[in-house]
Amino acid sequence: MSLIVVENLSKSFRVPERDPGLQAALRSLGRRRFRTVNALCEATFSVERGEMVALLGPNGAGKTTTLKLLAGLLHPSAGRAEVAGYLPWQRRPEFLRRLAMVAGNRSQLTWDIPPMDSWRVLAAIYGVPPAEFRATVDELVALLGLEELLARPVRNLSLGERMKCELVASLVHRPSLLFLDEPTLGLDVSMQRRLRQFIATYNERHGVTVILTSHYMADVVALCPRVLLIHEGKLLYDGPLQQLAAHLAPFKLVRLSLRHDNGGFAPEAALAATIPASMDSGVELLDQSEMGLTLRVRRADIAAVTEHLLGALPVADLAVEDPPIENVIDQIYERGVV
Amino acid sequence: MSALLPASTRGALSLVRHTWTSWLQYRGFFFLLAFGWMVPPLIYLFVWTTAAGGETIGGFSRSTFVTYYLALIVANQITYSQTNWTVGDVIRSGGLNELLLRPIAPLYDTVAGEIAGKVVYLIFVIPVTALLALLLRPALPATGDLLLFLPALLLAWLLRFFWGYWLALLAFWATRADALLSLQDALVFLLAGQVAPVALLPGALQSAATWLPFRYMVGFPVEILTGRLDAAAIRTGFALQAGWLAVALALSALLWRRGLRRYAAVGG
Repeated sequence: MSLIVVENLSKSFRVPERDPGLQAALRSLGRRRFRTVNALCEATFSVERGEMVALLGPNGAGKTTTLKLLAGLLHPSAGRAEVAGYLPWQRRPEFLRRLAMVAGNRSQLTWDIPPMDSWRVLAAIYGVPPAEFRATVDELVALLGLEELLARPVRNLSLGERMKCELVASLVHRPSLLFLDEPTLGLDVSMQRRLRQFIATYNERHGVTVILTSHYMADVVALCPRVLLIHEGKLLYDGPLQQLAAHLAPFKLVRLSLRHDNGGFAPEAALAATIPASMDSGVELLDQSEMGLTLRVRRADIAAVTEHLLGALPVADLAVEDPPIENVIDQIYERGVV
Repeated sequence: MSALLPASTRGALSLVRHTWTSWLQYRGFFFLLAFGWMVPPLIYLFVWTTAAGGETIGGFSRSTFVTYYLALIVANQITYSQTNWTVGDVIRSGGLNELLLRPIAPLYDTVAGEIAGKVVYLIFVIPVTALLALLLRPALPATGDLLLFLPALLLAWLLRFFWGYWLALLAFWATRADALLSLQDALVFLLAGQVAPVALLPGALQSAATWLPFRYMVGFPVEILTGRLDAAAIRTGFALQAGWLAVALALSALLWRRGLRRYAAVGG
């Protein structure tokens, strides 16, 4: 049985609405207008124990709403969700003990004292025996390289250091479910990478189930074989990350480097000559330079197009790539279509 | 109340210790706050002792006023619930999410802050009051009054805390609910025996003070300690104090349950 089962889960909010300006403000005192926002619309999915899943989507797509529903902070408007055998919004202590949620913009550490003190309180709140607490903290501190920070008040830590300490805080009670809401927000590239490594290692060692939201595709590529794409409250895609690209973008990029021994060579003209008219509509020149060309080619035409190119042009190197996932996703955000 | 879910006492105690260590970090700030809260009763102490001179006013001699106001300083400090202000902040800022994810009720966090605060403030207030007592020579209270003072003081704290708590919980519905806390402070100032002992208030105000909850948050235990109340008045006082506490507890429980339901519906 899956750890998380979600069926037709919906959440809508009624938000007060008014036009800008003083007159509108006065009018809204009398009768307020409301607008219903569907933050999540009939989502159905399930997550297995030990899986790492990413929620993707632009700001306001419904990612955080989904996490909050699964963590029991929100009551759904319709549908069903069962997490580790519990109804999340009943917030039973046994359920909460199995769960941890880390948000990049929130803190559960106390500002003015060293992180170790905050961890100890959390251990007491979650009823973690002292020996287990020591073992857990030792492991996490070693994995994250935190030895030097333990005596410093949290307010003297850098953002990255603080985030590591937040992770420890959320793992002190050894949750089986970890929700990460933008965990790498505002961190530099190498700190992001180290946090990702840690999350991957921790998942492997302890079989913790991870649901992650992030705006950094690198987080998702590195951690989550499976993604759920949410847009305007609707679940648009549920499957492997690689296939998301194929699914969303029915083309590939062909990069060509050309030999330079034929002076006066005009790439565009050569290209026009090499592409048969039957394929013309499927091939698009994206970029050209002295050195080479980048073409966008329909997946179905790849083999035929590369064959022609190799035959007709002085090719030094040829590479066929998937378009960068960011670009693909950006297209959805912009156009809202799959 | 529903917020009192089964939780490990160890967890709650640890929260108190933790909040306390954290607050000791800026004890200077808290000492200043505590000093600020001492000032109004001190002013009234000097006003009334000067007014009394060698005479008595409404049965209060100079030394009774000293006892009354020194006890009031301590009682005010012990019952003042500064965590009530935090409750609304936490709801408005979404910080409540963090607390709701924990397997113990958020009320524990508030109570921990409350107890930790008392300890920090009293480190300052007790020595200062003792010093003032040495200088101003109050009338010493009777042992029997002292024994009644303590439970009345405890009930006063609970009443002031939960009265402020239910007001603070209105933050679930209205963003500026803490204006009501300012109103509570003003009413306490007027009706709980700060400006003047309730016995010295003019008729209408005095009966309002007797029936409303505010006197039972500060003034009532102090009046007991200074021996100003007869047995019947003490019995009625305890009954009213307990009654208002029951009301405050019921409202807190109700608003917490309703508020949480609303919070889960509209999103924190």
